Amino acid sequence: MRILAPPALRQHLLCAIALGLVFLCAPFPRLQAVVHVVLVLALAPRAGSPLTGVLWAAAAGWALEGTLRLYPHMGGTAWADMTFALLAGWMAGRWPLEGVKGWLARLAGLVVAHTLLAHLAVRLAAGPHAWGSGWFWSLLSLPLWGWAVWRVLYAGPSPRRG
Amino acid sequence: MVVHRSKWRWSRTGWQRLLVVLLWLGHGIWALLGPAPGRHWASVAGTLARPSQGLAARWTQWRATRRESARSFAETRAENARLATELAQLRTQAAQEAPRLAEADEAVRLLGLKRQIPLDLMAARVVFSTRPAAFGGLILDRGRDLGLVPDQGVLVPEGIVGRLWSVGPTQAKILPADAPNASVAVMLIRSRATGVLQGLGSGRALIRYVSNQEVVQVGEAVLTSGLDRVFPRGLLVGYVAEVAQGDLELRVVVNLSAPLDRISAVLLLPPQPPVEVQPPFVAPEQKPQRKRGTP
Repeated sequence: MRILAPPALRQHLLCAIALGLVFLCAPFPRLQAVVHVVLVLALAPRAGSPLTGVLWAAAAGWALEGTLRLYPHMGGTAWADMTFALLAGWMAGRWPLEGVKGWLARLAGLVVAHTLLAHLAVRLAAGPHAWGSGWFWSLLSLPLWGWAVWRVLYAGPSPRRG
Repeated sequence: MVVHRSKWRWSRTGWQRLLVVLLWLGHGIWALLGPAPGRHWASVAGTLARPSQGLAARWTQWRATRRESARSFAETRAENARLATELAQLRTQAAQEAPRLAEADEAVRLLGLKRQIPLDLMAARVVFSTRPAAFGGLILDRGRDLGLVPDQGVLVPEGIVGRLWSVGPTQAKILPADAPNASVAVMLIRSRATGVLQGLGSGRALIRYVSNQEVVQVGEAVLTSGLDRVFPRGLLVGYVAEVAQGDLELRVVVNLSAPLDRISAVLLLPPQPPVEVQPPFVAPEQKPQRKRGTP
């Protein structure tokens, strides 16, 4: 069964809420990392609309690094976010979703790869830095937020479904 | 042949994709540049400029080495000039000290000779030499003030010089042994043949009254015989230079051992010394005895 794309308005509203949460979760870096990953990998990508995904991802990356205020040269996280938003959107068009399991597995792979690329980009931009544990909490809480996003975006009532 | 010309236009999707690409590339370049974007260009420029920097470093090092060499050369020249000046000063000082040193050396030698001859010897200094002139001699700085009288024997460590010819109040004149009118009683050291030495000039003298029967060798030493009561027996006069047979006697030419032209101080024998004097008995120096147990 092929899963249809979620409504754009709902997706943008959820992205805006997630972006606000990225700002608001600044005092809690682990939670902020989880929200950031949700926004970049789960909410922002949209098949056939790369520009919006890239903009939301760039906003998420700049918001994360801006609230973190640790890096001497920002932009690495935003670039990694944009790259993986494009990749996830391309994957959504190339391999449409067929179930929650595939969604979660795809998210898990994207989280790991995004972690590696974000670390590399920040290293190139700002120099060596600590890994942190945000990626771990993101991966650990993936079933929760993956299932929630699935329910909100793909499994909820849709006007296209009637 | 029909050529289809279509008007190229950007669609909305194309603009969006271009914007995405620009955003992505811009972020990527921005992230790659890092905190100091110029460092990349500096790194590239540094890599490209490495050979020229190496050459420049070698050039600078060569110039520094040459400057150091020039400075050391200048320092060496200055030191050389200073040492040359110092050497000239030392040579001048040595030249100034040389007569005094020679005089001291002569005094030491005279003192040694005086210790060897157990007579009351007196020392005097030669102040002038008239030997180049006819019947010339040596002028001493002492005369009757020292109690000198004519016919006192004069000698130096190398051998006899002659005798006092005339004595003034403060000066005395020596008649050298090589003067034509000088005579010294001598003997040959091997044959013990005696004769009379008569001067020939220029440091040479002739022994007369040596029999043809005597065997005289060239190089044989000639000593005073003491028979003239001017010199005691055994003082060195010279060495035989030539021996020739004569009608009645040997013609023995002697080179006088005393350097008559280079004498600055002499010793004067007492008037009419004994014919023979014994060399003084010099007791060996006693070493300080140590007590047992003391270092």
